[in-house]
Order: sequence, then structure tokens, then C-alpha cells
Amino acid sequence: MKINGKDSVLVVLQLSGGNDFMNTIIPYTNGIYHDSRPTVGIPAEQVLPLNDTLGFHPRTGRLKALYDMDKVAIIQGIGYPNSNRSHFRGMDIWHTCEPDRLVTEGWLGKTLYELDPQHENVLTGVSFGRGLPRAMAKAGVPVTSVGNLDNYGMMTSIQQDQERLESLEIFKEMYAPAVGSGAVRDYLSQTGLDVLKGSDVIKKAPQTYRSTVDYPDNPIAKSLRDVARVHFADLGTRVFYTQHAGYDTHANEVPTHPRLVDELSSALYAFMQDLWEHERAEEVAILVFTEFGRRVKDNGSGTDHGSGGGAFLIGERIKGGLYGEYPSLDPSQQEHGEDLVHHVDYRGVYSTLLEQWLGVEARPIVNGHYEQLQPFAA
Amino acid sequence: MADKDLALMAHLMRRAGFGATREELEAYVAKGYEEVVEDLLHPERFPELDDTLFCRYYALGSTMVDATVMWHARWLYRMINTQRPLEEKMALFWHHVFATGWHKSENTPAMVHQMDTFRRNGLSDMRTILLDLSRDPAMLDWLDNNENHKSAANENYGRELLELFSMGVGNYSEQDIKNAARAFTGWTFAQPIPLYPYGYYSTHFEYREGDHDDSEKTFLGHTGRFNGEDIIDIVVQQPATPRFIARHLYNFFVADEPQVPAWQIEPPQDPEAIEAMCQAYTESDGNLRAMLRVLFNSASFKAARFKRVKSPTELIAGTIRLVGTHRFPEPGLHDLATASTAMGQFLHNAPTVEGWHTGKEWIDGGTLTERVNFAVNEMADVSKPGIQDMIQRLRAQGPAVAPETFVDTCLDLMGPLEMGDEARRALSRYAHSGGELRFGTPEEADASAARVGRMLQLIVATQEYQFG
Amino acid sequence: MSTQTATAFQLDYVKTIGSVTVQLGRGFINPYDVAVSQDGRIFVLNRCDSARAQLVRVGIINWDEDYLGEFGKGYGPGDGQLMLPVAMALDSQERFHITDEHTHQVSIFDLSGEFVKKWGSSGSGDGQFNGPAGIAIDADDHIYVADQHNHRLQKFTADGQFVTQWGGAGSEPGQFNMPWGVTVDTQGDVYVADWRNDRIQKFTSSGAFLASYGESGNSDGQLHRPSGVAVDPDGYMYISDWGNERLQVLSPDGDCVANLRGQATLSKWAEEFFAVNPDERETRAQSNLVPALPPHLSAPHHVSSQTEPYFWGPVSVKLDREGRLFVTEANRHRVQVYQRAK
Repeated sequence: MKINGKDSVLVVLQLSGGNDFMNTIIPYTNGIYHDSRPTVGIPAEQVLPLNDTLGFHPRTGRLKALYDMDKVAIIQGIGYPNSNRSHFRGMDIWHTCEPDRLVTEGWLGKTLYELDPQHENVLTGVSFGRGLPRAMAKAGVPVTSVGNLDNYGMMTSIQQDQERLESLEIFKEMYAPAVGSGAVRDYLSQTGLDVLKGSDVIKKAPQTYRSTVDYPDNPIAKSLRDVARVHFADLGTRVFYTQHAGYDTHANEVPTHPRLVDELSSALYAFMQDLWEHERAEEVAILVFTEFGRRVKDNGSGTDHGSGGGAFLIGERIKGGLYGEYPSLDPSQQEHGEDLVHHVDYRGVYSTLLEQWLGVEARPIVNGHYEQLQPFAA
Repeated sequence: MADKDLALMAHLMRRAGFGATREELEAYVAKGYEEVVEDLLHPERFPELDDTLFCRYYALGSTMVDATVMWHARWLYRMINTQRPLEEKMALFWHHVFATGWHKSENTPAMVHQMDTFRRNGLSDMRTILLDLSRDPAMLDWLDNNENHKSAANENYGRELLELFSMGVGNYSEQDIKNAARAFTGWTFAQPIPLYPYGYYSTHFEYREGDHDDSEKTFLGHTGRFNGEDIIDIVVQQPATPRFIARHLYNFFVADEPQVPAWQIEPPQDPEAIEAMCQAYTESDGNLRAMLRVLFNSASFKAARFKRVKSPTELIAGTIRLVGTHRFPEPGLHDLATASTAMGQFLHNAPTVEGWHTGKEWIDGGTLTERVNFAVNEMADVSKPGIQDMIQRLRAQGPAVAPETFVDTCLDLMGPLEMGDEARRALSRYAHSGGELRFGTPEEADASAARVGRMLQLIVATQEYQFG
Repeated sequence: MSTQTATAFQLDYVKTIGSVTVQLGRGFINPYDVAVSQDGRIFVLNRCDSARAQLVRVGIINWDEDYLGEFGKGYGPGDGQLMLPVAMALDSQERFHITDEHTHQVSIFDLSGEFVKKWGSSGSGDGQFNGPAGIAIDADDHIYVADQHNHRLQKFTADGQFVTQWGGAGSEPGQFNMPWGVTVDTQGDVYVADWRNDRIQKFTSSGAFLASYGESGNSDGQLHRPSGVAVDPDGYMYISDWGNERLQVLSPDGDCVANLRGQATLSKWAEEFFAVNPDERETRAQSNLVPALPPHLSAPHHVSSQTEPYFWGPVSVKLDREGRLFVTEANRHRVQVYQRAK
């Protein structure tokens, strides 16, 4: 789908571990919140209010700044029925849209297949980090996983540039297709040469990047800066995947969670600044999600796995504001008497992005029909 | 002649184990092929690995997610250091076939227990193997047999037992599945103590008689008030069982076959090899040792050099055995596990019950990059004991080593490896670009050692090195 | 099972401290040792593992299990950092001396957790280490370190000046095989958990061999890979019989007077957890904390890994001034406290 003549781009930002949404967007006037969270609760006067009942965590000032520009859609109470409390299985469910079966194909892998059916561009999907998240996996769909954008490709441990170049030349010779060597060897040759080609292409990103924006020195900011660099290099990437780890705050939440949301907020702000500076913001939408929320009550040092967390959609074309409904803190309204209830099915959010942003049919990807939001400006 | 023996022995050790150093190969060759096969088939002839040593450095009380990385690292450590290579390789084989994933239960002790069971019974008979599997808590949880009740059966385990763990599709009916499932009602495990507050707990098999459906069932033409053992007794008698298992053995030890779902349509590439193993199965009451004895001693096995794409595990364990590190629990062991996961194989954690897709499906742009970079990186530090050994053997050839000899010797010591023309030419070109390899002065020796390191890096970057 | 001595020996269980965590802050992660300061604070050395190395630290609590803080964070070789810490001891100025078997050094921190200095280097010469493990400090501030891969004990002054060393690889009296824990009794004699020799050896403060206790096995008076020892003023030896997953107590004459498998209960942090997460109690209630196990699961670690009260990975035993015995369980992320009946 084109936005202002450019292909729409989706940036997915996974918060790994289960972000404590209730301490990110805080029901600061609710007595139950303060009573339930004697250790980790944020005092009402420290909260950055966005309305009479909800406010941002004090360390998310940058995210709030984006919200005040109407560029942040806060999706409250996102989840699915019988929310799974295990990290791996829970995250799998978000990745594959299959709550009841174990499958190996992810929603973005299937999306990439629709966006680039002939697999012409190995950079259509780019994941930052080692290994491939299941969300991006589909048999036959090539996805580029970048551990280090400044040093990507084969034989990266050979430090000296000249020696590395020579070794890559030799590599290329060794991977030249050989007649009569069989299907497996042909495949191997092709794969090796494709990687070389892909690294040559992706090299342009750090080489051509110029920016005045100062990204903060934290891991998610680094990933988002890499997203910007690749996006500005016009390599045809439609889907980016990034991860921010550490949100599993069973203990030590008081120092840990504020640091994380601070990193996240300042990273997102810098990224948006960079997009605006390069006039490349219109075609980019960001989804920030996590595998589950956390319990209402704290355990004296942190919070344990819960459900009914939240998500964010951020971008130039986003109609900022509150979406969904903040889950009730009243225990009689909760699942099992202690977990927040979700109001928005995550597959509805995916469907929104697939159909309204990427121009791809949602049903076969999310395995069903789910109510969509209307978060995009006309 | 001696070279052929060595190449053959290297092939055997790559397949039945995780590779061997030149010194080990020379000792094995002196012992003789058949005798080495017997040694492999009888791990009890050799001492067990001292686990206390590993546990002193890595307290393995499992906590959460990340502790699984260390258990993965521990298994790689075992593969690198075991004196019972086939025992570890069979545990890996059964892990591939009876594919179970940690990610469903997140209970690491249960997964490790499953592997210990495979180590213990992996070379025994099919009846014992399937019986132990049916009592394995990780498997019972994985395939929901703990939800398989007299009042409401759950067919998951019954189905996969027949479809994936013994006979294969097309050899039983839906009714057989239903009745097999009913026979396994009551086969469950004790609820393990939960993760909080003190970490994960192991558990054990529990048979709940009150939950068992002991009514009459018909299974594969037999009728009776069958319990799980009876189903297994019937299953192991079916000709389809050895055929299926033999094909798995062929795929794992001899040459890449198509993926299992295609087995109904595509016949085995070497039906005689399958048949020979089936015969051994029948003559030995389903004994894996007997099947493997036939396999390892067969001409078709001996000829099947480099006919398999190495799994990430084999690539990593084999490369580390060559460079000679991690002979002691040193820090950095978990990096091997992380690398394996990035290459697509997180041990103890199969993605689905169909297991990992092997052969060429191990390879895509991302995994190939990881594989090449891993091996290239391992060869970077020439002070590693295994690389030093290779350098010494090169030096022993004379004060100046000609370029062609340089290449030949490295290929020999790294395998022996067989290279295609393109790779051979490229390596030759590199060798010639530096002239003779000299070790006369300390400066020459240092420079030559660096060149050897680079040659080894180029060798492990080849396509050929992806095969084992 | 116990030998009666003149006054019958009795060791009572007091309580369990701790619970598992994957964060910094309140909780333990593979604790390897504890130390108790004069003001009654309890310092727990958390080793974790290299896959989650950022969790290494010394956690500080008090007897009421209030979490007070931590130091030694930030896995690395730099000043104030730890990598593979094994044991710690307090000197007369209440400074912590912590051995690190990856960096082959001893790091010193003061009572407030500030880094003071580190000393030691890798090697087999005097004052060098190859895997420093157990550490003990006597009343004169002499430091004794078990140098595991050099199979010896080394003695130093408070500032790390080499004094003497003894041992050597082997199984004869006075020799060692990968020694681990070290302690000093009230007479100034030095005890070493001689790990791979399955025994405890006793020496004078200058290294003269005095006695050896234990032999390989799992009966009374036998040991399997003992990792630590503590000695009370009466000369009773409390041994973390690591490989047998138990605490064994020997009389001053070397007779076994007690063999404990452990009897942990819910710690205060555990109770707090269940108060907030009541559904977790339900799952716990469905499980058997002390299950009957099938015959093939009979090795000590099999049993311990399925039985909540039992020791699993009892790495260290320490006595404090009050006579409380702290048994640190590396695999269970907790410390069981016992006290000798008066």
C-alpha cells in the first residue's frame, strides 16, 4: 500500500518479558491501584496525567510528548481469551495467532509472503537481533536477521578490511555454482551468493546515513536507529522487527521498570525525530506490544505474570488517543479474580495493521475475523 | 591404504559420534573398524562423564527461561567430552524422533530427564524404548496424555505414538488411534512442585488406575482389555515399525532423506539398507544395537561420505572437538548454545512434535551466515590446542611446506575433507599467494601459523564443510 | 544411626531464607556462600551462571529478611566486578574477601559494599592461583585460599602477601584433589573440603597435617564431593556433603553424629508471594512436596530435585557468632538455617 507515493512500512517493537502496562499508563486516581501496589505503585503526584483518571509513568516523558502531538494510540486492555502466562508460549501465541496449536509460521512471515510473493528482495523483512523471531518465519520466505548493521555478513570476525575483502572474494569463488552437483549443492551455492549480495546491499544503510538526531545510548535506541538507517537507504524493507528485553519484573521492579520505559520512550522519540528530519515519517507505523500484562497486586518486590496488558501504535499517520477500555481493577471484574480482562483482541490490532496499513488480507493470516480499530488519520 | 582407513574412520566417528581428533583417529585405526564399531555399540565399556565436575561450575538448579541455555550448553559439553559418543548421539537421535519442546511446559528438569532416559535406553530394544517414552513426564505433558481420561479421552499421544514414533502414517486406522489412546488413559505424572518459590522441580511417572479405561479394545486386528504395554507389544511386532525406525536411522546416520511427511509418497533412496536393518530388528527382537551393527558395517554406509547436511549440533560439537577447547567447563560454553539456537537448533526444545526439519532445510541465508561465521571465528585463535596440533603436524612435514602440500595437509587434518574443484582451486590460489610455508625462524613460524589459521577459516567457510 | 557422645548432639532447624529470582534485587540466584556481619546483616553471594551473568552480585538482608541492597554487580573483570565468585570471608575489619575462579583473583569490599582492591593472578607460582575457591580468615587476619587446580592451600597476610603454601596433587594425607571449601576453627586449625578425594583434612595454621575425616561413599562417615565445612567451638564439624545432597556432622573425634537431608519450609518471601498469588497455592497443593519415587530415581540429586524440603546443591556451611548454621543451596536459591540445641 502506498502512503504519499511510498510503500507503507511496519515497525514491530516487542517488549519481552511482559511489560507492566498498569505502571506505564497508570490509573492514578484509583484507590485500588495504590492499595494493591504498596511497593511498586507510583504516587499520584508523580504521574504525568493525560486525563482525569489516567497518566503516564513519570519516566515516559518522551512518549507522552509524542502522545501530546497526537501521534500515539494507546490500546488498552489488549489480549485474548484464556491468556497464557508462560513467556514462550504466550509470545508464540502473539507470533503465530494460534492459541491452541504449535505451529512454526508467524503472522509477519505470512505477511512477507503476500508483500513479496516471488521473494525477490531478501530485505523485504529485516529483523534486528540474532536468530529469527517466529513471527517472521514462514518456510521459503527469506528474512534478513541483522545482529550488527555495521558489521554484517559473512566472515565478520576477520577484522582487517583488506583481509576480509580477500576472504570474501575467495568465498564467492567457492560458492560459484557447479554443474551437476545436485539440488542441495545448487541451493547452498545460491544461498551463499545471496547472502553476499544482501550484505553488499545492506552496507549502503550505514554508509549513506546522515542525521543530526542524537539517539540515547541504550539497546532499543540502537535497534531503532538501525531501522532508520535501513529505511532511509530505500532497500525495499516493508517490515522491521526489533526487541527490547528485560520486562519480566517479578522482583526489583522499582529500579528496573522505570529504566526500561525511559529507554523505550527516549528511543521512540529519537526515532520519530529522525523520521521527521528525513521526511520519511508518513509511511511508517510502529506497533509496540508485549506478551502479557502483570498482576494488579505487587509481591513486595515486583509483579508477577498477569494478562490484559496494553499496546501502542505510533506514527505520523496515527490518530492519537485512547483506544479500547482500561481493564477494571475491581476484583469481581477480573479473570480468576486477579487478572485484568482484555477488551481488544490482539488479532484485531494485527488485522487493523494488515488491512488498513499494509494492504494485505487479514483473515488467512490471523486465522479469523477480528474487530478492527480505526487508528489512522484519513 | 592407511589414508582410506583414516578417512573411513573419520566418517564413522562423525556419524556415530561428533568427530575425532587426528590422534584419536590414529588410535581407532590401529584398533580396527569392526572393533571400534563394537566399542561404539557398547558405551558401558567406557567410563561415564563426571557430571560433578560440570555441576561444580554451573549450579544447574533450573530457574526460568535462561537456565535452559546452560542445560543446552551442558549437553554440548557432554558431546565434546564423552567417551561414549554413540550414547550421546543416540540421545540426540531419539530427541529428533520423539521431538519434544521445552517451551510448552517450561520445565527444564523434565526435558533433561527425557534425555537421560534416551542415554540409558537408546541402544536397547524398541519395546523398552517405547515403554519408557510412554512413562516420560515431559512427553506425557507435551502430548497432553495427562488430559487423557477414562471419562474423556485425548488422542494426542495415541496418534503421535503410531504416526511419528513407530509405524508411520498409513499403517493403522482412526479407530486404532482411538483405542490406543484409551489404552493409555491413566498414564500420567505427579504434579511437580511449581516454580515459585524455589525453582523448577522434577517429577515422575504415575499410573492412575482409577482413571484407566480397561474395557475391551480392538487394535490392529487384536482384541483385548489392552493397557499401554499391550499396545506397545503389538506395535513393535508390526513390520511397519522397523521400516519406519530404520528409515529414521538411515536419515540420521547415512544420508539425508526427504522430510517425514513425504515418506508415504517417496520410497527410501536405499531400500536394501532399510531391509537389512529390518532383518536385524526381527532377528534380535527389536534391538537397536543389532540394527546399528548392520548399518555401520554395511558397504552403503561406508560409501556415504558427506551425504548429510550437518545439524547445528554436529557443526558446533564437531568444530569444537577439532579445535580442542571446552575440554573443561570454562566460561563461554553458553555461547555455543546461543550459536546453535541462532542456527535453528535449540536442544531440549523442538519446535513441534514433527521435530526439526533436517538436511537442506537447516540452511537459509541467516543460518548459513551463522554457521560460517561461527566456524570461521573458532579458527581465529591459532593458540587453541587443536589448531596447534595441526600446525605441529604441518611443521613435521619439513622446514618448508609447498603450497599444494599446505592445502592437502589442512584438508586432511580437518577431516579428511573432500573438496569440489571450485573450492580446491580457491584454496590453492590462497596457498600459492603466500608461497612456501616456512617455520625456520620465530617470525616465520608466527607468520606461517597465521596463514594456517586463515586457511582453516577458508576451509570451514566452504560449502563442503556444511556436510558431514 | 547417630553415635551417642557424652552430651547428645542435636541440631534443630530454624528457618529458610530466600526465593528464586531472575532480576537483581530481592531474591537469590544460585547462591554459593553467605557471610554474617557483626551487626547481624546477612550477605549472600549470588553466582548465577554465565548465560545470565548480569545477575551476579552480593545481596544484603537482615535476620528479618528485609532486602537491604546489593554490591558487586556488573559481571566483568573490572574493579568491583565479579565473574565466577566462589566464596567469601570477613576479616577483623569486616571487609569481604571474595574469590573469583574466572579472574583468579580475590576482591576486597568494605562493609558498605565499596570496592577496596583486588589481588592475585593466574599461574602456579607463590601467590598465584588457578581457580581460587574456598577462603577463610583466622583471628590474626591470615587468609587461607583453596587453590583448586594447583591442588594446594595458600596462606596470605591480610593484604595478600604470600606467607606459605602446602599440598600438591594426590590422595595421600596432606595432598589435595581440587579442594573447595576452607574454614578455621577457634584453635586456629585449618580445615579443607578436599572435594575429589571425598574427605575433610585438618591442618595447623602453618600447614602441618593433623587429621583426615571421611572416605568415598554415602553411608555415615562417608562423603561424596564435599564442598564446605564449618567447625563450632566444641570441634563439631558441619560438612556440606554436596554430592550426597546432605549436611553431615562429625564429632571432634570424627564420628558421624548427624546426617540431614534438609527440611526447608516456606520462607518469608515465599509466603509473601503466595499472599499475592493465591492461585499458585492451588497448584502447589496438588503436588507432593515429598513424593515417593520409583526405584530408578534413587541417586541423591534425583531425590533432591523432586523433594522440596531437601537440600539440592548444598555448597556452603557457615556458622555465625550466635551459633546459627547457614546452609546455602545453590540449586534451590535459598539458605536453610539450623542451630545446635543447647
